[in-house]
Amino acid sequence: MINIRNFSIIAHIDHGKSTLADRILEMTGLVRKTSMDQMLDSMDLERERGITIKAKSVRIPYVAADGNEYILNLIDTPGHVDFNYEVSRSLKACEGAVLLVDATQGVEAQTIANANLAIDAGLKIIPVINKIDLPNAMIDDCSLQLYTMLGLGIEDILHVSAKDGRGVADLLEAIVERIPPPSGSVSDPLKCLIFDSFFDPYRGVIPHLRVFSGHLSSGDKIMLKSSGREFEIEEVGYFSLGLIQSENLHAGDVGYAVALIRNAGEIHVGDTIVAADHAEVSAVPGFRLSQPMVYCGVYPIITSDYAKLGAALDKFKLNDSSVVYEKENSAALGYGYRMGFLGMLHMEIALERLKREYEQDIIATMPSVIYRVIRKDGEVLMLDNPSKFPPEGEIDHIEEPLIRVRIIVPSDYVGPCMELSDAKRGVLVDIEHPDDRRAILVYDLPLAEMITDFYDRLKSVSRGYASMDYEMNGYRAGDLVKVDILVNNGPVDALSYIAPREGSAVRGRALIHKLSKTIPKHLFKIPLQAAIGSQVIAREDIFPRRKDVLAKCYGGDITRKRKLLEKQKEGKKKMKMVGFVEVPQEAFLSLMKIED
Amino acid sequence: MRGLYIHIPFCVSKCFYCDFYSITAVPELMDRYIDALLAEADSYMGLSFTTLYIGGGTPSLLGSARLAKLVEGLWRRFDLEDLQEATIEVNPESAGGDLLATAYNLGIRRVSIGAQSLNEDELRKAGRAHDSQQVQDAIGAASHSGFHNISVDVMIGLPGQTEQSLCNTLNILIAAGVNHVSAYCLSIEEGTVFSRFIPPDLPGEDDQACLFQSAVDILAEHGFAHYEISNLALPGSECLHNLNYWRGGEYLGLGTAAASHTGGERFRNAACLERYLEDPSSIREAVERLDEGRKVGEEAMLRLRLLAEGLDITEMAGRYGMDALNRLEIRLDQLVNRQMLARDGDVFRLPPGGALTSNSVFVDVIG
Repeated sequence: MINIRNFSIIAHIDHGKSTLADRILEMTGLVRKTSMDQMLDSMDLERERGITIKAKSVRIPYVAADGNEYILNLIDTPGHVDFNYEVSRSLKACEGAVLLVDATQGVEAQTIANANLAIDAGLKIIPVINKIDLPNAMIDDCSLQLYTMLGLGIEDILHVSAKDGRGVADLLEAIVERIPPPSGSVSDPLKCLIFDSFFDPYRGVIPHLRVFSGHLSSGDKIMLKSSGREFEIEEVGYFSLGLIQSENLHAGDVGYAVALIRNAGEIHVGDTIVAADHAEVSAVPGFRLSQPMVYCGVYPIITSDYAKLGAALDKFKLNDSSVVYEKENSAALGYGYRMGFLGMLHMEIALERLKREYEQDIIATMPSVIYRVIRKDGEVLMLDNPSKFPPEGEIDHIEEPLIRVRIIVPSDYVGPCMELSDAKRGVLVDIEHPDDRRAILVYDLPLAEMITDFYDRLKSVSRGYASMDYEMNGYRAGDLVKVDILVNNGPVDALSYIAPREGSAVRGRALIHKLSKTIPKHLFKIPLQAAIGSQVIAREDIFPRRKDVLAKCYGGDITRKRKLLEKQKEGKKKMKMVGFVEVPQEAFLSLMKIED
Repeated sequence: MRGLYIHIPFCVSKCFYCDFYSITAVPELMDRYIDALLAEADSYMGLSFTTLYIGGGTPSLLGSARLAKLVEGLWRRFDLEDLQEATIEVNPESAGGDLLATAYNLGIRRVSIGAQSLNEDELRKAGRAHDSQQVQDAIGAASHSGFHNISVDVMIGLPGQTEQSLCNTLNILIAAGVNHVSAYCLSIEEGTVFSRFIPPDLPGEDDQACLFQSAVDILAEHGFAHYEISNLALPGSECLHNLNYWRGGEYLGLGTAAASHTGGERFRNAACLERYLEDPSSIREAVERLDEGRKVGEEAMLRLRLLAEGLDITEMAGRYGMDALNRLEIRLDQLVNRQMLARDGDVFRLPPGGALTSNSVFVDVIG
């Protein structure tokens, strides 16, 4: 155990995490310096088995300068704020973290957020400045930022180029020297942390484990602390390039276990595995069930595909236990499902996978957060679907979830970023100036604003320089109203949304205008309206299509004519009939991104 | 067998809106082409036809001698005793000389003139090779040669076209004695000059729709019935050859890029002159045998183009059987509910004013 080092690489997106991991695998000899083709071949292979070559953890044998052989367990962390909880669990499995900063970009919002998670988890941090090969590398500036913004010692900072390999050998030595070996006794009862899992169609859910004490081998009876459910271990092993079966896993080890767990809902990241006959062993602290933050309706384009969609969701849930879904019925769209996601990125990925991997023709409605609706009679409703809101007259007030956003931005762009945050109903909490060129803005902002287009806009007003990170920060009352959208005089419940009363007319007009550009012309006039209760706040008409004809029939070439019609018909299939109006998929999601 | 179509792919120049297969006219190529056509006809020796249509391209470019060789050759190979209609397409710039008289003497009794417009500006912007006087001369020459059935193509939505100019074009044509008008809306097709350089004064969709309606109204005032989406005629002057297309009838197409519908199959010759000249029997492609469901859908789509005649569901059921027709009838009735079709007993028709938006209906008709 004294020769094991468990560590993660943490960084802001695009600061070179994957490249560094590749270089480490290569320099330790685990992966030969291969051509891209071979690399890709092996990736395909790994994908078939349900994992990628960049597995959640990889066991790297390494002979250090002291002549001893070490086992380095590199544990990957998800790279997006949606998965902060998952990151914190992965870090919990480590004793140390390599904090990577791009020498041309400096410390950014997720650098700080990830570093703080690692510090909170009590990890030894090795600060590393990457991309020193680039001509515009600002090594001294980065060093200063790591010192002033995170309190890391300048003398501890390593300089590497993950691209050309410079400094990586020193980094490997530092990992061995600076990161403490795992503690914990093999003779104590079993205690493992689940920090990730994947689904194998033949072997069920396979959790990724960090063993803190005791040992685990096939035939062992285990228990999940959160549910009390028991399973028998069939196989244990670790990740090299693929799954490598081993006799057992000991305290300090990182690996996987197969226990024929059929239902992905059984395994939760952060849960603790103990021996079934030692149920008294305490859980690793900090476990919680991941909570969906963003909800949307998901409907089959063809109403009769409802059952097919249900079956696909059942399968999908096996792969991604963090999505939730339940049946939902929309007057406009028919039967479908309400799905909940960890965040916007998670939603986009999940919907894309449903379309591609699970071959579902679906439309997704505008995403919504969970509102607290306080009725006049005092009842509190937690509602994630605007169409389920009680009539306006019965509502005392509405509260919405807040996030605390930390934006790091060059001083030149502080003004536009603050204007944007103010416009998005943000409340400034703090401004810090870690150095003379950059500012850290801390805002409390409604989550609902974040899930529309805040991040895109932030990038745009700062010319791409701002970075951000956020965490949930309770609820706040707001002057919010439900806006209904009427298409061809009928309300389309799936298009309803909650918005601040102030500016609702302007936004309503923008939205109606966008809708008028998205819905194709029909043979009849289609009025589009936005309304709060019975008050219409915006209206626009789609005028009828006057010409849609194939006129010339060249020498009786009917086939060509029919093929053109069939092509047109294919286009129609991508649309949802709402009353007599064909509404394209884009109409539902495009409404999210409205320019002010 | 009913219709015989002969395709002549030669043109003097490419019009700016045209994406159809055509080749610059070279005398030597045209000679060889006539030989190839007759060689292809050899393989269908003895078939009988009731209509003949020589289209293009620009058939009038052939000149009298080649036309005579072609038509006489067809008479020798096919049974044309019951021929009810024979049409030749001509372009104004090549309708002079004795071509029309020759055509008449060969038994051709209907001429279709590619007029498009009588406005000089519009003709120039569309890349036409003739002026308005040549159109009037061609109509005069046709009458003089004995033709009573004179059709003109008129393009709707040409760059710079106005209601006034269109009205003027139509009035001159009517006064000149035409009894059939094919009115086509200009559409920008890929690969055409217009698709690369969209003219700034190209009428928009709504304007096109207004222009088209004006044309229909003007022609109606002079007794022309709007019998098919793009075709208007004085009573009794409808084009029999094209009616056969719309009624789902059989026809044989000879020549490059010519389409056929015989024995339940649709096929087309490749648009390749070189290969055709080498071996006319080698270029048949895109053979298609439709299953019954699609065949019913296709015929329904075609028959609905006939605005007055419409689609008689009982008549079709007599040929396809009730099962196939029930599914069609359900689709059609749904369109009736949405007021996109009109039903009168057994007959379905496009509703008044529905011709120009018929694609929206047809996509649901084809099933």
